[in-house]
Amino acid sequence: MMGDRFKTLPAAARAEWPHQARTVQVNGWRMHYIDEGAADPVLLLHGNPTWGYLWRKTIPALLASGHRVIVPDQIGFGFSEKPVSEHAHNLDSHIANLVSLTRQLDLRDLTVVCHDWGGPTGLSLALKEAARIRALVIMSTWAWPTPPAEFHTRIFPWRMMHAPMVGPYMLGNHAALVGRGTYLSVVGREQFRDEAQSVYEAALPDPASRLLTWTWPRWIPLVASDAAIARFEWLEEELSKTDWPTLIVWGREDEVFDAATFALRFKRMLPHAEGPHMVTGRHFLQEDSGAEIGELICDFLARHQTQEG
Amino acid sequence: MNDITIVDAPDLTDKRHAFVMREERVGHYAEFRGFFSQAFNLDRIGLTEPGYLQAPSGMVYALVFVGRSGEPFPSGLDLFALPEALEPLDDVVTDRDLWEILCWMIDGVGPPWTRDDLEKTGRVYRIPAVR
Repeated sequence: MMGDRFKTLPAAARAEWPHQARTVQVNGWRMHYIDEGAADPVLLLHGNPTWGYLWRKTIPALLASGHRVIVPDQIGFGFSEKPVSEHAHNLDSHIANLVSLTRQLDLRDLTVVCHDWGGPTGLSLALKEAARIRALVIMSTWAWPTPPAEFHTRIFPWRMMHAPMVGPYMLGNHAALVGRGTYLSVVGREQFRDEAQSVYEAALPDPASRLLTWTWPRWIPLVASDAAIARFEWLEEELSKTDWPTLIVWGREDEVFDAATFALRFKRMLPHAEGPHMVTGRHFLQEDSGAEIGELICDFLARHQTQEG
Repeated sequence: MNDITIVDAPDLTDKRHAFVMREERVGHYAEFRGFFSQAFNLDRIGLTEPGYLQAPSGMVYALVFVGRSGEPFPSGLDLFALPEALEPLDDVVTDRDLWEILCWMIDGVGPPWTRDDLEKTGRVYRIPAVR
């Protein structure tokens, strides 16, 4: 069955994603993931509107360095189950999905690598399952309750694109985020269009399958009454108390989660963190610098293994 | 100005409800819920009947409002076209109608929401119906 789903991907993409498809039932939903290699595990978490494929250039370096690599597709994306009601999705449920995965695989000495919504979910997972955590890697995300960026407070284009009725029309019917939006958020656009854009689009082929692309942005808190405020307040407060080895990696050309605002705020929150290491990339920096990011993570983990050993 | 008009309940004989789009959180921004509530007098009529719009193509659309326990009404809406019973929808025409309905809605919600921002957003994402 899983093989049938992958047949919807372009042949070139299947060649770049040679990993064995696995599924596990998490928190009531079917989650697709890969689990390759042995030794200490590294969990790679994507956000909106991608899937594990985002990490395809990062995975080889980690495997070559002897790490175990686990890459789930968040529920609602990739080849995981896609609930068709907005009410099936909330931030805490997405965190609980990852807690379930981590417990079922009994991941220990775990490095959590997070991007976009992989940040609020993955960092919350780390706090919830703190005894399992070895290190964090943070890129192009946020972990505090105030609006992520001035961009997110503007009607054009951010609030408009997922406004009532507009969201299901533009991001659902017209795939605006998984198509044009992702294309605009990489540096090497021609290469991205040739190699990867159709892969992301193929994983979200129908308006209903794209539900989370317009509903997840609605969980970004903008005002004090928004539903996720309390979770983000908890996340900021608890994360700032942690002293896990942490690596911050950011895209030099990231205009949405710009480094001057976001990477440096993480650095203030976690002054012991390494970085920010700047690489070529906009929001989807893995598309432009995935292999380099893999090497950065390997070097970071090797240094800390040496220091701890 | 827009080409969308609110119309009375049409004769549904030999028509079908063709599902077009669902919005489950009309109140994600409260002013949108307020607009629909006022436009269709929902505080008075509640769930007794849908709202109806006629689009530039001549197609009439039914707005079926949805209530959920614990949330202000309406919490969501399902949008249906009302074509001849066995007649398939023309996807291009329906898409243009949907765009016009969005323009009508944004005009109705009013500042700071503007049709100009809607059209700019549509152009960024290359929505075919944007003029």
